[in-house]
Formats: sequence, structure tokens, C-alpha cells
Amino acid sequence: MPTALSSVAVPARRRFRLSAETRGIKLMLPVLLLLVLCFLVPVITLLLRSVMEPTPGWQNYAELLGSQTYVRVFFNTFMVAGVVTLITLLVGFPTAWLLAILPQRWSRLMFAVLLLSMWTNLLARTYAWMVLLQQTGLINRVLMALGVIDQPLALVNNLVGVTIGMTYIMLPFLVLPLHATLRAIDPSTLRAAAVCGASRWQSLRLVLLPLALPGIASGALMVFVMSLGYYVTPALLGGTSYMMLAELIAQLVQSLLNWGLAGAAAFVLLVVTLGLYAVQLRYLGAGRSEMGGR
Amino acid sequence: MLLDYDRLGGWRWGLVAIGSAVMLFLLLPIVFIAALSFGDSQWLVFPPPGWTTQWYQQLLTDPVWVNALLTSAKVAVMVTLLSVVLGLLAALGLARSRFFGKSALQAFFLTPMVLPVVVLAVALYAFFLKLGLTGTLTGFVIGHLIIALPFSIITIGNSLQSFDSALEDAAMICGAGPLEVKWRVTLPAIRLGLFAAAIFSFLISWDEVVLSIFMASPTLQTLPVLIWSTLRQDLTPVIASASTLLVAFTVLLMLLASFLKKGSRQ
Repeated sequence: MPTALSSVAVPARRRFRLSAETRGIKLMLPVLLLLVLCFLVPVITLLLRSVMEPTPGWQNYAELLGSQTYVRVFFNTFMVAGVVTLITLLVGFPTAWLLAILPQRWSRLMFAVLLLSMWTNLLARTYAWMVLLQQTGLINRVLMALGVIDQPLALVNNLVGVTIGMTYIMLPFLVLPLHATLRAIDPSTLRAAAVCGASRWQSLRLVLLPLALPGIASGALMVFVMSLGYYVTPALLGGTSYMMLAELIAQLVQSLLNWGLAGAAAFVLLVVTLGLYAVQLRYLGAGRSEMGGR
Repeated sequence: MLLDYDRLGGWRWGLVAIGSAVMLFLLLPIVFIAALSFGDSQWLVFPPPGWTTQWYQQLLTDPVWVNALLTSAKVAVMVTLLSVVLGLLAALGLARSRFFGKSALQAFFLTPMVLPVVVLAVALYAFFLKLGLTGTLTGFVIGHLIIALPFSIITIGNSLQSFDSALEDAAMICGAGPLEVKWRVTLPAIRLGLFAAAIFSFLISWDEVVLSIFMASPTLQTLPVLIWSTLRQDLTPVIASASTLLVAFTVLLMLLASFLKKGSRQ
């Protein structure tokens, strides 16, 4: 009897599973439709315009890579992304380390501050830095009162302003995932290093850093990629004198109505961004990003 | 030793010093902006000569700011609802089906999250120009929804993963219909994921700047767009008060989220 029963039951179950599989696909249809229609189609159309407007051909790409102005924008973009990544890493690593080992009541406080800063409106934060960093701003006045400087420093509309603003925004994106990596390292490996006679520097260089390297690499890559595509903060703190790629795309569309060139610039940004994310997924595991560039 | 807080020795103070400096750096602009919004200096002198609430009065009596605030709220509520419902459907679909190319589809669902927002904004702007959707609520909602959805799908997907689908089978065996099972078993079990998705979606829409700049028209704009366009002209303290309101609201939602999280642990 049991064999007869199971021989009846198996096909029934299989049929149930199959219907569940197709129903699952139906559930995804609304999102799929929305994304194809209002995401995939517009983005591909924009990219196609780069080779179709004003006339079919590669002239937009030639102009983008041949003009001094535009090459300067590329240089600015990679420069800012590189400098911001480096500083974020240098400051963020010790912070993540501390966060990983602090007693819980203190680490909770640090978490709250990190999350608050991360979720505070981007414009509110950027506005605060614009006011803080301006010629008569708090930073310049404090530095002058302390006698560090005689003249107010130019802290906005240049690389310094963008770097401070961007580092501020990127810090939580590095510290939070890196802290998770450090938490996952077994403290006894470092105790073992100490028992075996390693000095602190040796333990840091030969044990902690190599173990944390995947987290460091994926965090740094994420900060770099996000910085490449940022629009709001560079536009407000860098001004027109220090233009980055995202701002160029916006300007080309809004002021110059040059859709072909904008499409070409968007294509370059897209390829670099998705390419670096692919590297991250392929080689650094699932270091999932929190948010696209703003 | 390097990962034992109590046995770090002198290095501990180095780490604590850097960590404290970073915390101050992170708090400085937020505290500064709140203080600034109550200062009575038009020229943003800090510390201000006196205190006032006039910037808030200006903000809340100016129809332009009030309208922007209302538009922001309307858009955010609609985005939240749509994002949770559609995100739930997609997450259920992904969790309950197996087919060729599923992981590619999943990756496609999450691409709006990693794509530079400016590319999406410009592309959508061109598309909506043709359809006459720029400067409409629909335009705002669709734009925000596209970048909010990945967060909903991830959060709801995570809570579905920790939910044992055998419970659904059990309810089914006990005679519940498929809809009743979803309504009385699945949804209550993943309600925290749904709340989290709602909070994320709301905040994403509420704070979105880049897409909104391209969707806005002179007569229809959200609060961040108005802050942005005002900011490009001057740094008036009214922006400080608007920013403080945005921050206060974010803090409220974060507190709500942490309460929910605590509730789930008990």
C-alpha cells in the first residue's frame, strides 16, 4: 500500500510545484514591465542617441575624448573619486576597527551616529558644508582665531570642498561593511600571533590587514564607483570651476540640449560603473552596495 | 590581541581618538544646521547674535515652500505604497519560483540601485518629455519608484528567506485557501520586512534630489528640488530650517525603525 500511495502522490506534488513556478513568474510581471518600460527602454534610448545625434556615427565620442575641456572633466572625476576613496579608507579603517571591538553600549552609539549621518538628507548635509566652508564660515574663522592662518582659505568651489563633502558622505558606506568584515575575524588568530611573538605592527601587517583585505578592497571599490557618479555634492561644493562627469551630463542636457554628447558621456559613466561593479561581484564576493550615486 | 578592546594597550587610545574625531566630524554639520536654523543672523554668522523662529515662520507661511512640502509628502506616500506592494509581489515571485535565468532577472531588478542616478534621471527626463509626464505627480512617482523598488525587493526577500514556507503548506493542509494563506500566514510572518521596506521607500523618495530636479516644473516641485534651486542662488537660513525639518523627520522614522527591530527581538 505505501508504494501505491507514493506513486500517486509524487505526480500530484510535481504538478503543484510546476504551477507554483509559473505563478511566481506572474507575480514578477508588474515590476518587470515597469522596469523594462521606464528604465531599460529610456536608458538604452539615451545611449543610442550618442551614436545617432546629430548624425549617425562616432563623432560624439571623438568630441568627448578629443576636447581638452571634456578630458579635464574626466580627470577631475577620477581625481576626486581617487582622493576621496583614499582618505575615506585611511580614516574609515581605524573607525571600523574601533566599532568592531568596542563594548556594546559604545558601539551602539557609534552606529546611531553613522546611520543618522547616512540617512540625513543629502542636500541638508551639503548645505551645511557650504556654510561651514565658505570664506566667512565657521572653519575659516576658527582657524584664524587659533592663529593657524592669517587669510581665509578657499575651501569651496575647488577640490578641497568636494573632497571634504564627498568624504563625509562616503564614510558610513565604508565603515559599516568593513566593520562587519572585521567582526567576522576570530580574535584568537590575533592572540595566537601575539603568543608567537609578533609585535603589534607585525600582527597588523601580517594578520589583521590580510584578513580584512577582501572587506577593504570591496569597500574601497564601492566608494570609488559611487563617487564617480555623484552629482549634487560636487555640483554645489565644486562649483562650475571644478566640474565632474555627472554634472557635465546634466549641463549638456539642461543648458546645451546636446543629447548626443550627453548620451556619450552617460555611456562612459555607465560602462565604468557597471564594469567596476562586475569586478567586485566576480572577485570580491557579495559586497552588496547600499545605494547608487546621488 | 588587536581585536581585544581590553588588551590593545596604547593603541586603544589612538583608535578611540580617531573614532571620536570621525564621530564629531559626522555630527558637526547636522548639529550646526539645526543650531543655524534658530539663529537670527541673515548672514549665517555663527554663533548667532540671538535666537529666533522666524525662519520656520517664513517657511511655513510661504505657499511655495508649503506646496513643495505637500508634494514631497504626497509623492513619498504613493511611492511607499506602490514600492511595498510591487516589491512584495516581485520578492514572492523570486522566492517561490525556479526557472532558467532567474539570477539574471534578479540582477536586473537590482540594477537601478547601482546605476548612477544622473544617467537614469537624464534618460527618464527624455522619455517623459515625449510622453508629457515631466512636471506631473506621475512622473515623480515613477522615477522614485524605480530606485526605491530594489530596496523593497531586497528587504522583503530577506524576510521571506527566513520564513519557513512549510508553514504555508501546513495552513493549506488545514484547509486554508491560497489567498487566505498569504493573508493570514505569510504576510503577518514577514510584516517587519514590509515595515522596513516601507520606511526605506519613504526615505528614498523623501530625500531624492537628482531625479526630482529633472522631473520638476516651476509649478510642481518637491522640497529637495526647492532647496536645490534656492541653494544655487543664496544660502538663506530658511534652507537651514527646511533642512532641519527633513532631518527631524528622518530621525523620527529611524527611531520608529529601531523600535520595530527591538519589538521583533522580544
